[in-house]
Amino acid sequence: MARVKLTDVTKTYDDVTAVNNMNLDLKDGEFITLVGPSGCGKSTTLETIAGLTKPTSGEILIGDREVTNLPPKDRGIAMVFQNIALFPHMDVYDNISFGLRLRDYPKEEVDERVEEAARFVELDGMLNRMPDEMSGGQRQRVAIARSIVREPDVFLMDEPLANLDAKLRVNMRTELQRLHKQLDTTIIYVTHNQAEAMTLSDRIAVLNTGELQQIASPLECYNQPNNRFVAGFIGSPSMNFAMSTVGEGRLETGGFDVDFDIAAVDGVGTGDRVEMGIRPEDIYLTENSEDALDPSDPIGVETDVLEPMGDQIFVYLKPLTAHDDTGMGEAEQREGLLMSVDPDTDIAEDQSVEVVFDRGQMHLFDADTGDALSHGVVKGTAATTESGEDSAQVD
Amino acid sequence: MSIDAQTHEDAETFDDRDDEESKSPIKQWADDWIRNPEKAYAVMLVFMGGVLLTTTLFPLYWLFAVAMAEPGQSNIPLIPNQIDLSAFIVIFQQVPFARFMFNSLFYATSVTVIVLLVASLAGYAFGRLDFRGKMPLLFSLLVLSFFPPATLFIPLFRAFNQQVPMLGVFTLPVELYRTPGAVIAPISAFAMPLAIFILTTFYSQIPDGLEDAARIEGTTRFGALFRVIVPLSAPGVATAGILTFITTYVEFFFSFLMTGDRASDWAPIVNGVLAFQTRYTTRYDLQAAASLVAIIPVAILVVVAQEKIISGLTQGALKE
Repeated sequence: MARVKLTDVTKTYDDVTAVNNMNLDLKDGEFITLVGPSGCGKSTTLETIAGLTKPTSGEILIGDREVTNLPPKDRGIAMVFQNIALFPHMDVYDNISFGLRLRDYPKEEVDERVEEAARFVELDGMLNRMPDEMSGGQRQRVAIARSIVREPDVFLMDEPLANLDAKLRVNMRTELQRLHKQLDTTIIYVTHNQAEAMTLSDRIAVLNTGELQQIASPLECYNQPNNRFVAGFIGSPSMNFAMSTVGEGRLETGGFDVDFDIAAVDGVGTGDRVEMGIRPEDIYLTENSEDALDPSDPIGVETDVLEPMGDQIFVYLKPLTAHDDTGMGEAEQREGLLMSVDPDTDIAEDQSVEVVFDRGQMHLFDADTGDALSHGVVKGTAATTESGEDSAQVD
Repeated sequence: MSIDAQTHEDAETFDDRDDEESKSPIKQWADDWIRNPEKAYAVMLVFMGGVLLTTTLFPLYWLFAVAMAEPGQSNIPLIPNQIDLSAFIVIFQQVPFARFMFNSLFYATSVTVIVLLVASLAGYAFGRLDFRGKMPLLFSLLVLSFFPPATLFIPLFRAFNQQVPMLGVFTLPVELYRTPGAVIAPISAFAMPLAIFILTTFYSQIPDGLEDAARIEGTTRFGALFRVIVPLSAPGVATAGILTFITTYVEFFFSFLMTGDRASDWAPIVNGVLAFQTRYTTRYDLQAAASLVAIIPVAILVVVAQEKIISGLTQGALKE
């Protein structure tokens, strides 16, 4: 068990910067997830912590030791890989005991620890199997047993569930949670799967193009995203965005206007260009507007395609009118919106409906930098706005 | 129209029958084979197989026939008059043939060990690392392997025997001539490029994840190479090793010229075979027997290696 601290870690390959000035400070026993799209530098960050890649500059601390230049074997870490990476020429026992045998542990202790680890991942009785005789889930458990048997200070997991089928993935996710609860070890987990990130972690670190966008609890990332990237990346389906201009008491996008009190949002004045964002679940049909914290005036739209998901219906909405005074292209003017409604809602395709936005859940982002300006655009949410601004400073 | 067609059809059948009658046996034979290609394949298989077996096995049989003949007999019958295996014992009594064999096996083993060790390191670097000048280096290795070894004999002989300064810079500390080093060093160098190319290919195919896993678990890069990469590349290592072993064992030029004639001078097996040739007589029967004995180690190796050269070891190891 140990804390992990990255200070100004940068990794460049020739002319590509994979990780740029990464600062992370992980508490002892914390489960932290690095998320981001492909190529965002999350795996590279993990590799620098593991010691498989040497950072171009910066410093890495595990516990109180500086490990920047130590080889992987001396860092007190264990790692679970996306491709599982069991040694195919060794049976389960040899795979799990590999690290212990390299460190010359006495035979009895090796046996004891391997048995214990195998019991922990429910693989007892399979110690003589070869990896190619096992299923994907069993192999992944062997890999986990191999990593816990040495009792490392930090676990690194590089998309460990990515190659498993959907059902197994959910099972293993639960097992990982159990593992964290029982071992109480620092875990750094890399994934591009949001569900894993949201359900498993104490904190999520969102990365993009090698830079840390936000590090906060899953709910904070969801409700108070630092910037447009985090807002769009966290949450499925993704948040609706619309470029808009601040008008007199309203927000004018290409296809619709949303009324709001400009005075409620600091630093926004009439004529400013901002990007508004609203999640599908924060758009309501007018008849359900009482469910919204702070409903806007009704907005006329037309339904496009419905996607019934069972527990909810995703409704694609097309704006009815297009303003001509925004100076935006036709395509941008008629950007669609996604709304989620209860499955028993009476709604059909190609139908004119009126919807309201929950202004308490509307986000405004700077049109140029993408930084969050406000979470919620009503007076009562000023506190949220404040903390949102605060977390926007975390970098 | 219909009459025309009729006539035409008739003409065709007529022509056919005409052909059938006028065809020579060879033509009919060819026709039959074209219609039944499997017949042709079967005949070809027997024929080619027969040729191959005859050309490869007959020399061995002929050696055996010579070994069975009386000493000094020049007219060797196709079928030996008597089966007398005493020649196979005499060769060990008349000359220290076992020592000659040991010398050659010693060369082959040492060269194989050296080549596999060095080529493994080189193969790891070329196959798994990215570094500047990788391609030029590999290319120069390829170019070097095209040099006929004989062209390097004179300079090497002088360096080993007369201890002239190499490159005008340094002399070898000891005289290598008539020592195993004079054979092992150059042959290792000549066998190296091929082994490096084989191992580079194999090592580059081992997934990075396995090496990373080994390093995280506690090995160094070297440890990962010898504990994980080499065992998983067993077919490649076996191939490189066997090729090197056989090349060295049957090597004539350097092993003959860099050593003395006597077994105690580290002479190779070819000297053992030639030892039955004196100024006045040549015991062809003993030479034949010695040649047959000399083949045995390589024959055993090939038989054993066939079992060893197996792949599919990495199958199912990784989900990619």
